[in-house]
Formats: sequence, C-alpha cells, structure tokens
Amino acid sequence: MAEFRVRRYDGFRSYWQSFEVPAKRGMTVLEGLYYIKENLDSSLAFRASCRMGICGSCAVKINGKPRLACETQILFLGDKITVEPLENYRVIKDLVTDFEGFFAKHKAVKPYLIRKDENYEEPKELLQTPEQLNEYYVFTLCIKCGACYSVCPAASTLDSYLGPAAMAAAYRFCADSRDEGQRDRYEVVSSSQGVWRCHLAMECSEVCPKNIEPAKAVQMLRRSTAFSILRGILGW
Amino acid sequence: MGISGWFKLGGRSVFSWAFTFQRLTGIVLLIYLLAHLTYLTSLLDKTGATYESMISLTVSRQFLIFDLLLVLCGVFHGINGLRIIIHEFGFAHEYRKPIIAVAAILIVAVWLYASYVMCSLTGG
Ligand code: SF4
Ligand code: FES
Repeated sequence: MAEFRVRRYDGFRSYWQSFEVPAKRGMTVLEGLYYIKENLDSSLAFRASCRMGICGSCAVKINGKPRLACETQILFLGDKITVEPLENYRVIKDLVTDFEGFFAKHKAVKPYLIRKDENYEEPKELLQTPEQLNEYYVFTLCIKCGACYSVCPAASTLDSYLGPAAMAAAYRFCADSRDEGQRDRYEVVSSSQGVWRCHLAMECSEVCPKNIEPAKAVQMLRRSTAFSILRGILGW
Repeated sequence: MGISGWFKLGGRSVFSWAFTFQRLTGIVLLIYLLAHLTYLTSLLDKTGATYESMISLTVSRQFLIFDLLLVLCGVFHGINGLRIIIHEFGFAHEYRKPIIAVAAILIVAVWLYASYVMCSLTGG
C-alpha cells in the first residue's frame, strides 16, 4: 500500500487529502490517481491523455518536483507520495491548472515554418542535411508539459514572461535551415517579456522530462537575438 | 506566485539554490553599499570625529564576524556571477554540473583565505 497525499482545491479552499493505494510493481502515479478516481473519490480532478509521456497533459508536482505522472513509478518513490498541481499556474480544480496563458505564449512565438515562397499549388521539397537537422532536433521533442515554466523564477514574478517552453519552440524554428521567419520571432522574444528576462536559474533544464535543455535554448535564442540587433545597428 | 518564487528551495536543484543566494547576496551587497556611502558622508565633518567614532565601532574584533560574512557574500556573488556569464549565450550548458562544483570549491577556498588574512590583520 502507498499513501497518496493529494493537494485538493474545490474552487474555494485548498487542502490535503490522503488515500491508500495498492501499489504494484511497475504501477505509475497516474495509475494511482486513476485508482483513487475509480474506487475512492470520483470527484478527484487531474489531466491525462496518452499515458505514455507523449501528450504532456499529466505533469504535476510529485514529491516536490514536477514530473509526468504517467512516467513516474510509485515504487521508485517509496510508500509516501505527495501530488500537487504545478506552480506558476492558476489552479482550476485539484491537480488541473490553467494552461491558456502557456499555450498563448507558445502561439505568440509563431511555432511553425515561415517561408517567403509559400505556394500550396506547387509545393516544393525543402532539403536538409543531417547536420542542419541536428541544429534544432532536440528542441522538437518538447511535449508542452509546462514543467519548465512551473519552476521558472522569472515566470513567478511576471505572468507575461514567455517562459522556457515558448522560447525553446521559437529557437527550434529559428535554427531550422528551412525557416525564414527569424525576424518576426526575434521581435517577439526580444521584448521585455522575452530572452532578456531569463536569469539563468537553469531549473527548467533540470526538470524537463524530455531533457531538451530549455535553458540552453533560451540562451541560444538570446545570442541570435543579440546578433540580429547588432546587425541592425551596424546596418549589415 | 510573486517574489516568493525566487526563494523556493524545497525540491529544487543546486542551480535554483545558486540563483536564490545570488539574489540574497545581491540584496546584502546593495544594503552594504548604501551603508558604506552613508559612512563616507561622515567625512563631511572636517574634524573627523564622526568618522572616527563610527570606525571605532565597526573596525573591531566584535565586528569581524560581520566582515567575514560580508566577504562571503561578495565572493559568492562574484564567482557565481562569473559562472552565469560562462553560460550566457548558450555556452557549456552540458558541463553545468562540473562548472558549479568548481565554482563552489573556489568560493569556499577564496573565502577561507580572505578570512585567514582578515583574522591575521586584526591580530587574531
Ligand atoms: S521544454 Fe521540457 S519541461 Fe518545458 S514544456 Fe517542453 S518538455 Fe515540458
Ligand atoms: S498522460 Fe500524456 S504525457 Fe502523461
């Protein structure tokens, strides 16, 4: 048996509630939450979808650290498990937090290929070497779980801060040899809510379940933005 | 979460600890700078009496512990600041763990040496 201490919120008050969960080898925290919902308290709210570390829906704070509930095995954590909603987001109910702002920031950095010669009538193949792919590949692995944003001290003091995930997405496209939208994105990320607000606490890289090093992406983006500003000043 | 987000240490890695202490030592150094400037304005008293009375209070063996802590703040802020500068613009992120370990060793070594010098100067 494992004891699940879950941080609950009903719209008015926030409190801890404990549940006994029969833990089997290989059982994940997400399965534990489903066990509670199906057998002990159907009012427990949490978010999940793929159950295999792909969709990014199930990130919660487990034993004090943001993790994917579907990728965290109960028996690795011992018999006492605390589950809380992610920080830096508004809690809607229990473990469900409001991701509207997080996705709006993602959208703001234009996370898609921008081409000057877009022609859907006559699409053309855009070739890329393996080296060019390697420039950005790791940043494509982001699953938008929001764990990085939840531990970012810059995000905790400024709601409108773009945050590590959105900037990693911006860098992913800026570093793509097929993309021609760098200028548009530099404009967004060089604002006071963008790259200059990162103080390199680097916690985002420590908690990212996909190990994509969002802190590095933010800094790489800062580098390209700085060079672009410099080029603008020098008229190159 | 507001400013308390700067001081969250539970469940966080050594990098967040370094971030928090960078902020705290920055605040301490700022307060010290203001106190220092206030101190210097005492020189406006041309007789030097005000300055002398303040000096006799703060440059003493009883105050040494505060001086040592102040030096620790300065050493931490400086060396940790250099560590952050190394990583600026995306450099050496893969080596951040050995780099922070080296920075920690340097901080302790420099502080111990500075403490030794200061203790010897005050006749300790
Ligand atoms: S960068 Fe990592 S922690 Fe942040 S949203 Fe993407 S996968 Fe999650
Ligand atoms: S349920 Fe999809 S990542 Fe966990």
